[in-house]
Parts: sequence; structure tokens; C-alpha cells
Amino acid sequence: MTLVAAAPSTIVRPEVDESTALDNPWIVLVWNDPINLMSYVTFVFQKLFGYSLEKATALMLDVHEKGKAVVSSGSREKAEMDVYRLHEHGLWATMQKDGGQKDGGD
Amino acid sequence: MAATEMARRRPPFEAGRNGYIINLDDEERHFVRRLVGEVRELLTSMPVGDPKMSRLFPPAYTNASGQDAEAEAEYQRLMREELVASRLDSIGRIDELLADTTTNTMTADQLNAFVVSLNSVRLILGTILDVSDEDDEDDDPSSPLAAEMAMYNFLSWLLDSAVTALMQG
Repeated sequence: MTLVAAAPSTIVRPEVDESTALDNPWIVLVWNDPINLMSYVTFVFQKLFGYSLEKATALMLDVHEKGKAVVSSGSREKAEMDVYRLHEHGLWATMQKDGGQKDGGD
Repeated sequence: MAATEMARRRPPFEAGRNGYIINLDDEERHFVRRLVGEVRELLTSMPVGDPKMSRLFPPAYTNASGQDAEAEAEYQRLMREELVASRLDSIGRIDELLADTTTNTMTADQLNAFVVSLNSVRLILGTILDVSDEDDEDDDPSSPLAAEMAMYNFLSWLLDSAVTALMQG
């Protein structure tokens, strides 16, 4: 599970200005689940974030093979809206403070 | 007969010149309407915390029961109704469309509503069936849930076709 640190640098979001991108305390994760179809997950990433087919497919495969992937980042408000739209599409998405990854424990 | 059989093997959804074409017969239309109607019932009468609906309303925060518990409660308070309303809207649109058997084309917006609603049914059925990654190929006809599994597989086929059509169109 080392993808979380690496993933944000590969996300290209031209609609976000640099100052916002640098100040992105929140990340949005999508978690693997056995119900959602791979084609559907790829489709949702493209539809919601405007990612290319290649990028959306790579993220979907990360979710499928590694258990989760960071699909977006930004302000708390943006992250919450992204989580909501992913929930609207039935994906298992959560948000957390960047660097606040918690493995185990409660 | 042969022509009918061929027609039935066409993909259920296809990108056409003027929108998207639905290749579903009356029985299949009725079946999909019944299933999404059941989801509508569940969404309007659902007691909060019904386990079979859990996948439709996941937590929003990774640490939902820890440091972000307050924010999680706020998200659920503000967004849960939005999620219900959005799903009811999608279901209403496809139900209306399928009810009109004189129509076999739809817009991208309508097909998007279709996709989201089909997926809602799958999330509930998949939860009831306790689908896991390992039993993708498990189609035991003697299972007490064989009928539900057949429905689930049919919906998966429809959804995959709809997504493929949207990605091509």
C-alpha cells in the first residue's frame, strides 16, 4: 500500500490553479469493492473528473489490485463534493487529510 | 424466429446516430421497471441503518468513527437526503422512459440516469448476495439465491452494455 504518496503527483487537473493545488490538505480515496464493475468504475472516473481513458483505467486498476487509489485532492469543500458525487454513483469513496493515512487501529 | 433471436442478441444499449438505442423487449423493460421500483420503495421507506442499503450510503470520512466523527455526522445530516433525492430523480426518469414502449431511443442524460439506477439495484442485490471477488464465476443453480444471482448477472450485463455505449458515444 504505497500508492497513496505517489498518486497525487500523477493527477493532472488543469482546472485547478497552482496555489490551490499546492494547498490541498484533503485527498479523496476510492476503495475496492466486489460489486462495482471495472468498466463502470473507469466510466465514473472519466465522467466525474474528466480523466483520459488511460488515466481512468490506471486508477481503476489501482483500486482493484491495491485496494484503493487517490482519485482527487483539494480543499475540504472540493473533497466533500467529490466524495458526494462518487457516492451518488455508488462508489465507495472517503476523504481524509493528506498525510493522515491511518492503517489499522481505531 | 431466427430474426428475433438475432435481435435479442444485440447489445441491450447501443450508441446510435440520434442518441442511444435500447434493445430491450417488453418483458425486460417490465423487469427493470419492477426492480428500480423496488429500490424506490426502499429509498422512500428505508429505516436508517438497513444493512442491505449500506453500500448506497457509505461513510464520507476515512476516519469516520475517529477524529472526523463530527464531520462525518455533519455530512450524513446534510448529504443523505441529497443522495436519496438524486437517486429518486434518476429512477423516475428511467421509469418514465421505459413505460413508453413506443420509444427505443434515449439521450446521454437518460442513459446516465439508467446507469446510476442499474448500479443502485446491483449494490443492493450484491449486498444481499454477499458477492465477493472470489465467487465471480459461482453460478450454482441449486443455491437458494440462484434467482437473485441470475438477476444480478443480468443487471451486470445491462450495465456493462450501457457503460460501453456511453464511452463509445
